[in-house]
Amino acid sequence: MSTSDTSRRDFLAAGLLAGAALTGCSGNENPFDKAQKSGMITPTGKTVKLLSVDGEVVEMDEAFLRPVSDLPPVSNAEARVGIPGKKFVMVIDLSRCKSVKACQASCNHAHELNPGENWIKVNVMQDAEYTAPYWQPTTCMHCDEPPCVKVCPVDATFKREDGLVLIDSDRCIGCRFCMAACPYTTRVFNWEAPQIPKEMAAKPYSCETSTPQKIGTVSKCDFCADMTRKGELPHCVSACPNGVFFFGDMIEDTVSNGAETFRFSELIKDKAGYRLMEDLGTKPSVYYLPPVNRNFPFEDKEDSLGEKKDKIKS
Amino acid sequence: MLAFFNEACLSQAAKNNLILGLGYFNSNNQVQYLKASTKSKINGKFRPVGDIPVRYYISSEDPANLLGKAVTNDKGIAHLFIPPSAAAAWKKSAKQSFLVVSDSTKEYDGVHSNFDLTKSRIQIDTLPDRQIQATFSEFRDSVWVAVKGVDMKVTVKRLGGDLNVNETPTYTTDSLGLIHADFKLDKLPGDSAGNLTIIAEVDDNDVYGNLTTEKSVPWGEPTQYVSSYNQRSLFARRGWSPLWLEWMAYSIIAVVWGVMIYLFFQIRKLKKLA
Amino acid sequence: MEIITRQKIIDDLAPKKFGWRGRVWVIVLLIFCFIGLVAYLLQLSKGLVVTSMRDYASWGIYISNFVFFVAISLVGSLITAVLRLTNVHWSTPLTRIAEIIAVSAITFASIIIVVDMGRPERFYNLFTHGRLQSPIIWDVVVITTYFFISILLLYLPLLADFNILLQIKKRTGSRLNKLYSFFGSFWKNKPEQIKINNRSIQILSITIIPVAFAIHTVTSWLFATTYRPGWDSTNFGAYFIAGAFLVGSGAVLVAMYIFRKAYKLDKYITNDHFDRMGKIVVMLALVYLYFNVNEFLAPAFKMKKTEEGYLHGLFTGVYSRIFWFALSTAIFIPILILVNKKGRKPLPAFVAGCLVVIGSWFKRYLIVTPTLLNPLLPMRDVPDSYRHYFPSWQEWAIAMGSLAGMMLIITIFARLLPIIPIQETIDEMEEHEKD
Repeated sequence: MSTSDTSRRDFLAAGLLAGAALTGCSGNENPFDKAQKSGMITPTGKTVKLLSVDGEVVEMDEAFLRPVSDLPPVSNAEARVGIPGKKFVMVIDLSRCKSVKACQASCNHAHELNPGENWIKVNVMQDAEYTAPYWQPTTCMHCDEPPCVKVCPVDATFKREDGLVLIDSDRCIGCRFCMAACPYTTRVFNWEAPQIPKEMAAKPYSCETSTPQKIGTVSKCDFCADMTRKGELPHCVSACPNGVFFFGDMIEDTVSNGAETFRFSELIKDKAGYRLMEDLGTKPSVYYLPPVNRNFPFEDKEDSLGEKKDKIKS
Repeated sequence: MLAFFNEACLSQAAKNNLILGLGYFNSNNQVQYLKASTKSKINGKFRPVGDIPVRYYISSEDPANLLGKAVTNDKGIAHLFIPPSAAAAWKKSAKQSFLVVSDSTKEYDGVHSNFDLTKSRIQIDTLPDRQIQATFSEFRDSVWVAVKGVDMKVTVKRLGGDLNVNETPTYTTDSLGLIHADFKLDKLPGDSAGNLTIIAEVDDNDVYGNLTTEKSVPWGEPTQYVSSYNQRSLFARRGWSPLWLEWMAYSIIAVVWGVMIYLFFQIRKLKKLA
Repeated sequence: MEIITRQKIIDDLAPKKFGWRGRVWVIVLLIFCFIGLVAYLLQLSKGLVVTSMRDYASWGIYISNFVFFVAISLVGSLITAVLRLTNVHWSTPLTRIAEIIAVSAITFASIIIVVDMGRPERFYNLFTHGRLQSPIIWDVVVITTYFFISILLLYLPLLADFNILLQIKKRTGSRLNKLYSFFGSFWKNKPEQIKINNRSIQILSITIIPVAFAIHTVTSWLFATTYRPGWDSTNFGAYFIAGAFLVGSGAVLVAMYIFRKAYKLDKYITNDHFDRMGKIVVMLALVYLYFNVNEFLAPAFKMKKTEEGYLHGLFTGVYSRIFWFALSTAIFIPILILVNKKGRKPLPAFVAGCLVVIGSWFKRYLIVTPTLLNPLLPMRDVPDSYRHYFPSWQEWAIAMGSLAGMMLIITIFARLLPIIPIQETIDEMEEHEKD
C-alpha cells in the first residue's frame, strides 16, 4: 500500500506517528495522507504528544488532529484559489422541509448577519394553480457559470477551484451589479453598518468565513468555506432537524446531512433531482429533490414576509 | 460519533440546570480524546452552552490526576486529547475512569460527569474479493481478548459524512470478535490512484466509548478533477478574460485613443504654426 | 433681410455678465447643489441605508439619473457631429449649446455613479483590479473616452472664437481674457491653422459617432446582460440610443429657448431653428415610439410567466400611472404639439422640449425599478420595506442636486464662452452674402 510520492515523505518528516506505537493499527499507510495530498491541510510543523491505547507516547502534527479546533486563517490569495480537486455540491430534499428555519438561524448566527438579513430564504413555491405548494430553501447556487462573477468590475467576487463563489469584502466597491445579475436574488447588501461588537469588526476579513461583515459591501451564502476546509459540514446542514440539506464533494460522489450519507449520483437519479432555472445556463451546484411523499403536509403558517402569522410585528 | 451522555447532578433553584456529558473517542488506536458537552433547557428547548470552563481527570478528581482544562465553544463542546501524563494511571488497569468537572459560573453551578471505560481496540483487514474483516478486542488481564456482540459499522471515509460499504447499516461481532463486510460500492471515485479509506467504527458504546480504525484500500476509481479555474472565460478572474474579448476591446480602444492622440498632436502643430 | 455686420455679430454673441435673473438662477442652482451635498455627506456617514434602496430594489434613482445623464450627453454627437457631417448649416448656432450640454451631462454621469457606490473610497479598485469581462469596466472606458472626445469637440471650434474675443479685450474682464489667452492665444487665423483645425473637427465628428453609440449601448448592457424581466431584451442598445437622441434634442429645444430669451439672440436662433428642431424632435419621438412598441408589444403578446408581473405592473398596475404619464409627456404630447406648424413656434416648442425631458426622466426610472421589484424568485424573508421603493428625501436631494449641478456647469460655460460660435456665424453670414 505504499505510495512513492514526496508528499508522504514530507508528511513523515513533519514529525508524525512514532513507529513503536503502530501495534494497534494495521497497515502502515496514514489516513491523513489523503487529506494532505488533497491540499486541504498543510502540516504546521508543530507537534503534539498524545497517549496511545497501548500506553505509549505518540507525536503528531497539530494540523492533522481530529477533531480540529481552529485552523490558522487562510491568506487572501489561498482563499481565492480554494481547494483543488474538490467540487462542492449541495442537495436539498424538499420532501422533508417544514420551514423550521433552523438553517436560517444558525447561518445568520455563524456569519454575524444583521437582523433582517438572511442568506438562506425559505420560499413558498407553487409552480401552477393545480400543482402542490411546498417550501423551498434557497442558498447561493455557487453556479459553474456564475452571472454575478461575470459582471463584477473589481474581482471582488470570484469562482474557486472547488466550485465555491466567494466575496472579498475588502475589495468590493458596492456597485451592486452582482445583485442585479443574480437570477436567484440570493445576494444581500450591507446598507448600514453591521451590528457587531467592535472587537469582531476589527478582526481581519476572511473570504472563507465571510466575517466580519462590512458596510457598503455585498454578502451571500459561502457554503461555509471555513468548515468545509476542516472537513466539517456547513452550519445549515448540521442545524436542520429534518435532514433537509445534504452536502458533499461531487468528485467523491457522496453527500451527507450529518446522519445519513448517500452516493450523490444515486440520490439524484433515484429521486429525480433537478436544479433551479436550468434554462438560464448558470449551471448551479445546488440540486433539489422534488417534494414527493412529503414528510409534512404543507401549512403556510407564515405571512408573505416569512414571519409567523401569529407573531406580533414590532 | 455521538458522545455518551451521563446525566449530571442538578443545581440549586436560582441557577439553570446544566447538563454535562462526557464521551471517550479513540481514533486508529493512536489518538484518544475526551469530549465534554454541555446543554441546558433554555426557553423550553435544549441549547448548547458555551464558555463553560471544564477540567478533565483520570481515575479520580485529584489535582495530581488532572489531565487538562478547556472551555466549551459556542456549540457547547470542549475536547481534550489525552496527554502522556495519563500514562501511569492508564497502564495500571484495563478499566479506566474519566471524569469531567465544570466550574461554577454566574448562570450555572459546577457539575460532574464521568465515563467508565474498558480499554478496547479495533483491527481491520482486507480479504480477497473485496471483503473487509474487522476484529474487536478488549484488554483483559494484560491480554487482548475478542468480544462478542459489539455493534460496528463499516464505511468509506468521505468529506462530511462516511458512506456505508453496502446496504447493511450495522454488524455485530461473532464469538471470535469478527465481522465481515462486503465492499459493494461500484466504481466509487477514490484519489488519483484509486485509493479509498475504509473505516470500521464502534459508535457510542456504553462500555467502550467511540472507536474508529481506518485502512487504505485500492478499490476506488482513480479520479483527477481539473476545474475550469485556469481557463479563460467570462467569469474567470482578472487577466483571464476570453481572447476574443481582449482583442476586440483593446483594438477598439487603440483605434479611438490613437485618433485622439493624433488630434492632440494636431493641436500642438497649431501652436507651432503661431 | 437685415444685414448684420461682423462687429454686430461679435457684440451680440460675446459672453455677457449676468443680470439679476442670471444671478438668481445661479443662486437657486447653488442651493440645490448644496442641499444635495449635505444629503451626500449624510449618506457617506451613515451608509446607503439613508436611501430607500434595499436588497430587491438595489438600484434606484441614482442609476436612473446616471442613464438619464448618459442619454442627454449623446446630444453632442447628434447635433454637432451628425448634422455637421451631413453639411447641414442651419444647426451651426446650436452646436456649442449641444456640446456644453454633452460635457456637463457626461461629467455628472460620472459623479452620480460614484454617489451610488457603497464604497466610493475604493473607486481606484476599478483601475488597479479591473476585470475586462465586466460591462461596468466597458462603461468606465467608454465614458472616459467620450468625455475627452466631447471636450475636444468643444475646444477645437472655440479656438477661432477665443481669437475674436481676445481682440475685444476691453469689453471682457481681465480674468476672462486670461482664460481665453491660456487656451487659445496661439490661434492666429492663419490659413494652415484653419485647414488643420477643420480637418481635426471633421475627424472628431466622424469618431464621436461610434463612440456615442458605444457609450449608450454599453450603458444599456448594464441591464441587458442580466436575466431580469424587462431587461433580458435584445432590443436594449437601439432602444436606449433612440431614447437618448430624443431626450438630447428635447434638451436642446429647452436650452435654445432659454438662451435666446436670456441673451436676446432672436436674430441667431430664429423661429426657423425652432421649426427645424421641432421637426427633428417629432422624427426622433416617432423612432422612439417605434422602439417602445417593439419593447413592450412583443413580450406582452407572449406574457411569459417571469415577465407577467412586470408587464402588468407597467400597463395597469402599480407603475401604470407613471408609465402612461412618461409615454405621454415624452412622446405623444410633444408629437401632437410639434406636428403642427404653429406648434413649432418658439414657446410651444420650448414647452414640448420640457415635456420630453421630464417624460424621459420618468421613463428612465421605469427602466430601473419595476424590473428589480419583480424578481424571478418570490420576495421572502425580508422586512416589509424591501418590497417597495420610493426614493427618500436624501435620494431626491442628491438627484436634484446632480441635475442642478449639470445646469450649473452649463450656466458657467454660457458665462465664460460664446454660446453661439462666433466665427462660424460670421463665416455663414459671409457665405450667405456671397449668394
